[in-house]
Parts: sequence; C-alpha cells; structure tokens
Amino acid sequence: MRAALRFTLLAGLLLFGATAAKAAKDSCVECHRGLDEARLRAPTQGFSHDIHAERGLSCAACHGGDPADPEPSAMDPDKGFKGAPTRAQIAPLCASCHANVAFMKRYNPRPYVFSMGEWQTSVHAKLAAQGDAKVATCTSCHGVHGIRPPRDPASPVFKTNVPRTCAKCHNADYMKGHAIRTDQFALYAKSVHGVALLEKGDVSAPACNDCHGNHGAAPPGLKDVAMVCGTCHGREAELFAGSRMKSGMDALGKPGCVTCHGNHGVQQPTDAMLSAAAGGTCAGCHQPGSVAEQGTSAIVANFRELQGSLSTADSLLKLAEVRGMETGPGREGLKAAQDALVGVRAGLHSFDPKQIGAVLTEGAALSRKAMDYGREALRDWHNRRVGMALSLVVILILIGLVVAKIRQIEK
Amino acid sequence: MSASDWLRDRLGLEALDHVIEKKRVPVHRHTFWYYWGGMTLFLFGVQVGTGILLVLYYRPSADEAYESVRFLMTQVSFGWLIRSIHSWSGNLLVGAAMIHMFSAFMLKSYRRPREVTWLTGMALFVLCLAFGFSGYLLPWNQLAFFATKVGTDIMSSVPLVGPFLGRLLRGGDQITGGTLTRFFGFHVAILPLCMTALLGIHLFLVQWHGMSVPPGVEQDTAAPKREMKFVPAFLLRDLVGWLAALGALALLAALFPWELGLKADPYAFAPAGIKPEWYFGYMFQTLRMIPARVFGIEGELLGIVGFGLGALVWALVPFLDAPDGRGPRARVWNVIGVLAMVYVIIFTLLVYRGAGS
Repeated sequence: MRAALRFTLLAGLLLFGATAAKAAKDSCVECHRGLDEARLRAPTQGFSHDIHAERGLSCAACHGGDPADPEPSAMDPDKGFKGAPTRAQIAPLCASCHANVAFMKRYNPRPYVFSMGEWQTSVHAKLAAQGDAKVATCTSCHGVHGIRPPRDPASPVFKTNVPRTCAKCHNADYMKGHAIRTDQFALYAKSVHGVALLEKGDVSAPACNDCHGNHGAAPPGLKDVAMVCGTCHGREAELFAGSRMKSGMDALGKPGCVTCHGNHGVQQPTDAMLSAAAGGTCAGCHQPGSVAEQGTSAIVANFRELQGSLSTADSLLKLAEVRGMETGPGREGLKAAQDALVGVRAGLHSFDPKQIGAVLTEGAALSRKAMDYGREALRDWHNRRVGMALSLVVILILIGLVVAKIRQIEK
Repeated sequence: MSASDWLRDRLGLEALDHVIEKKRVPVHRHTFWYYWGGMTLFLFGVQVGTGILLVLYYRPSADEAYESVRFLMTQVSFGWLIRSIHSWSGNLLVGAAMIHMFSAFMLKSYRRPREVTWLTGMALFVLCLAFGFSGYLLPWNQLAFFATKVGTDIMSSVPLVGPFLGRLLRGGDQITGGTLTRFFGFHVAILPLCMTALLGIHLFLVQWHGMSVPPGVEQDTAAPKREMKFVPAFLLRDLVGWLAALGALALLAALFPWELGLKADPYAFAPAGIKPEWYFGYMFQTLRMIPARVFGIEGELLGIVGFGLGALVWALVPFLDAPDGRGPRARVWNVIGVLAMVYVIIFTLLVYRGAGS
C-alpha cells in the first residue's frame, strides 16, 4: 500500500515537472530571436505560424538540444543537439515522423503517410544519391521554419501555387548544367490547364504534381502518358487504349496523347485539329492522299454537318425565343445533341470510323429534332398572329353590331 | 304552360324583371367612369374562366409546378393562350380596379349612404392585390421565387404581426415547396371565397343605392337630369368596352406571350434587377428610396407603417370628408386624391427607370 502511494506521488511529480517544462519558455526561440546575425534570427520569425509549432512541437523536435536550458549549454551534443541537418539528412529527418503512422495519428486520425520508398523513386532523390546538391528535397517545396499545411492557400504546395514552386528550380538559371528543358512553366501558364488553374483559380485543373507525382516526381514514361492523361480524361483514354492508333504509335515509339496534344503547353482542342491537310494535327504523321486522310475527310465532313445543324437549331430556337415562344423542350433536345457532339469528340479517340459514325448519326438525329422544334415554334408563332388578326376582326364586327344596336334602340 | 313561364313561376323572375325595368344610370359629363366597375367585373370573370382551365393542368408542388405550366404552354392546344390571357387579364384587372377606385374617390361616390360600398370596394382591391401576389409564385420560376422572397420579407417587417404574417404566408422561415402549395390554396380557395362574398355585398349595395351622382352634378339644379336604362342601353355600352378589352387581351397574348423563364432554384443567386409586379412598384420604389434610418427609426419600418396608415386613412375617407362633398374640406380631399394618383404614377414609372437602385 505504501509502495503504491510512493509510486503515485512520484508519477504526479514527474507529470507536474513535464507540464511545467512545457509551459516554460522555449530557450531556442528566446535566444535566437535576439541574435544580431539575421541568418540565425530568421527561423524564429516564421516559426510562430508553422504547422509544427501550432501542434506543440518546438525547435528541439528537429534540432535536438534542451529548450528548458536558458544557457548556450542547451546546444550541447550531450543533450541531443544535432544542429541544422545537411541537405541529404532532411528527407530522412522529416520521414522519422511523417513516415510513422502511429506518430502521425496523434495529430490526424487519417494522416498522409510519407514513404521513403516512393521518395527514392523520384528523379530528385536519385540525383541526390548521386551527389547532386541542387536537387529538391522536402524543404525546397514545403519551406522551412514556416511550414504551412498543403490546404493553406499561403502554402507553396497549395494547388494554385505548385507550378510556381516547381518553377523556382525548373528555370534556365537554376538548371544550368543540367540537360533538362526549362520552358515547362512558360508553356504550362499558357496551356488550357495553366489558364484554368492560375488565371481562373479552377483547382480541378491539373498542376505539375498531378501528372508527375509529388514525392515520387518523375516524367511519365512513354507508355505511362495515356494512363496519366486518362486519370482525368478517362473516356478518351479508354477509347484510345483499345484503338489501332495506340498500337501504331507504340510501334513507332510515339507517346500517345502527347503526340497530338502536346504536354506542358496543351491547348484547348479545336475542331480544326481534325484534318490531314496542311495545318491539321493529323498532317504531322499522315501524308496527303493517304488512306488515313481519306478516312479522316469522311469523318470530318459528317462532323462539320453535325456542327452546322446544331448551329441552325440554336438560331431557330433563339429566333423563336425573341418572338416570345416557349422553347424549353427544344432547348433540352439541343442540349442532348450538343452532348452528342461532345461524345463524338471523345469518340474520335477510338479512331474507328464505325464507332464514330454511330455517335455522329445519333447526334444528327437529336439535332434534327431540335431544329424541327424551332421550326414548329416559329410556325406556331405565325399561326398565333393570324389567329389574333382574325379574332380582332370578329371582335370589331361584334363591336360594330352592338353600336348599331345601341343606335337602333335609341332612335 | 310554356317552359319559360314554368321557370318564371318557380324562380320568381318577375321580381328580377321589375328590378331590371326600374334600374337607371345617370347621364352626365362623368358617366364614362361608371363603366370601370363593369370592366373590372368582366376582367374578374375572365380570370375565373381561364383560372379554372389552368387548374385542370396545374400541379401545385415544387417538383411539378414549373413542368406542368411548361407542358400546358407547349403541349396543350391553346394552353399558351389561356395562360397568357390569365396573366395579362390579371394585370388589366388590377389596372381597371385602380381606375375604378380613383374615379370613385374623385367623384366622391363614397358619400352617405355608400360608405360600406366604398369599404367593400377597398377590401376587394386588397383582394385583387393578394390574388396577384399569390398567383405570381405559382409557375415556380426564378423571378417569381425571388420576388416572393422579397415580398414576404417586407411583410415580415410589419411591426408586431410581421413575423407571424411572414411564417403564415411562407409556411416556415423560407420559401419552399410548402409555400407554393400554400399560395395555391390562397389563390384558388381562400381568396375566391372572400372575393365572392365581398363582391356579392358590393354589387348588392350598388344595386340597392343606385349609381352615385357627383356633388357638382347633383347640386347643379339648372342642368336637366338625364338618365338611361341599365338594360339594354348601359349594358350594351358595357359590352362594347368588354369586347374592346377582349381584343386587347388577344393582342397582348399574341404579341407579348407571358414568358415562363427558368425554373426556381433556391440555391441560385437572385437574378439582377429583380422587381415586383407593376402594381406593387410604387411601394417597392418608396421603400428603396427611404434612407436606412430616419430620425433613428429603421427606414423600411417607417415606410411600412406609413403605407399602413395611408391605407387606413384612404379607407376612412367617407367619414373624414365633408358629408355633402363640397366646401374647403372636400377640396382638400380632392387635392389629396390628385397627389395620391401622381405619387402612384411617378413612383411606378421610377421602378422601370431603375431609379434609386
């Protein structure tokens, strides 16, 4: 009984001591905040809004030492002080917590768990292992002493900030001496993806890491391109995967989607791309007069016809609307026809004239229906005016008869 | 005994013949204004007729209301015409009721013994506005949804009873499918019941007291007193007006069919330039132009209380004006009537000029 009492007392004292130490000031911050050398003072400035500080971690969590000791002896290696990690030590240091599921669950029930294995597959890690001191490590992207969670818009790895964060290194100056292109950011910023993400703030548009990966960042291999694009453009990728074009391109060593659409500078596809004549995308590989060109020409003709009929249907419905007619069902029909056109555009990736023809036929039928509705609405509008004119004539005759009757009575 | 005699015997039509034979309408320089009561009644009849046809297709729920109106307009023969006439006739009805009310005011038709006729007329006018307000929401389109939201929010600001009134109208704190069903109930059951009762009393009193003669004509002893028989002379002239109104409705329905717009979406942004039907325009514009605070009192509250007091004074004019309709007090009420008309016209026009927005 007495032993139990002693144990409880001791445990209580230890707990009190631990709490008191936690509540005490952090000597690392206290000292470094007052140092003259800006390099040594800087870490204390950003750390107040660092996610680690917010979660109760102190400098000692990464650098070791004793934050309870107010003297320089706090940085005694005997007290576990490690100093600033070298570049090569950074990833393992971060991984010591972030790859530890049990530890990370203290802060988040569903934590992102960093994988050193994945990191080692990245081009960055491979070059670092070869002694390249310029390649990116954790702090290059996430920052240091002011690290914010990726969901924070001020974080350099927040979706809309990722392209610029990558471009901090992937530019002509920094990449001097590396055999690597450095125009990615310039191309991306003008691409359909870049405009959507950087200008319109559409976070569903891909940033660099959506195609290249983040911790395992690497350029997609030849055979991986269609799979990478297919993570968003699923229907097109599925059709392309089953097409003869895919096997043809594989045989020629051409990367699927990129061959026609480009990569970093990918633009909004236009219908003008669909041509084997000069200026068309197909002309890049197919010769004028070839079988491919003949097949493409037939598809293009039907495609243009569908576009024309959609435009006509839209004009007819607009005219009817201007004249005050209700065109809701016609508009719904037109929307279905426009969806069919989108289906045709996706269907082109099958490179199968039969399959494309079937979707084109369906679109043409829907488009004709919308056109018929527009024409019917305009006929109806005309009939209403005729009906109105006739009814006015009848009403005027009736008014004339009543006036005549009044005069007759009053005579 | 012929069938006609058989019916006359059983329905007591002799008494009706007597009333018809006896009924006369005074003829003088203001007789034109007598036709506006009949015109209002005719347009109300059009509303009843077209309304019954609309009910055959209309479905009062948030899921089906818009679709049922669209079906009526696009798939049902002459459905578009019935809806357009109902909408246009509703607007012309309020217009005709306004002309009838202002002409009765200016001709001082409310003088003894017609005070109750005036009061029932005022109540009928309020019912017409309530018909317009409740009917506007029924197609469940975007514009109607947000206009009703603004309207019920304003009603909720009425001192003391506002919050209760707002919940009573909406069936909750928001405009929902429940509000639509409730408004349908008001529009086709409660309001018609009140209208029928009040209209019956109003028409009975008009027959009972006969047509009012303006004070100026009444007291001009030198001029000869002329009159015409109600049947057929006045009724046939009424008929000319009704036929003209029918022609106007045909013209409006064919040239400017009442549009349906987009289906109501409670989660969408309110459409730009949202405004109520024209007959609420002067009130809407006034509330928009009153500063947020006047002498420390909330501007909107001040406006609502002002309208309430104005309507009360307007209704009580038979008891406030000079009994014989002449003299300085009567002239003051003439000026008030003119000012009220000018105010309503100018502030209604201002809504469409976008002033104060």
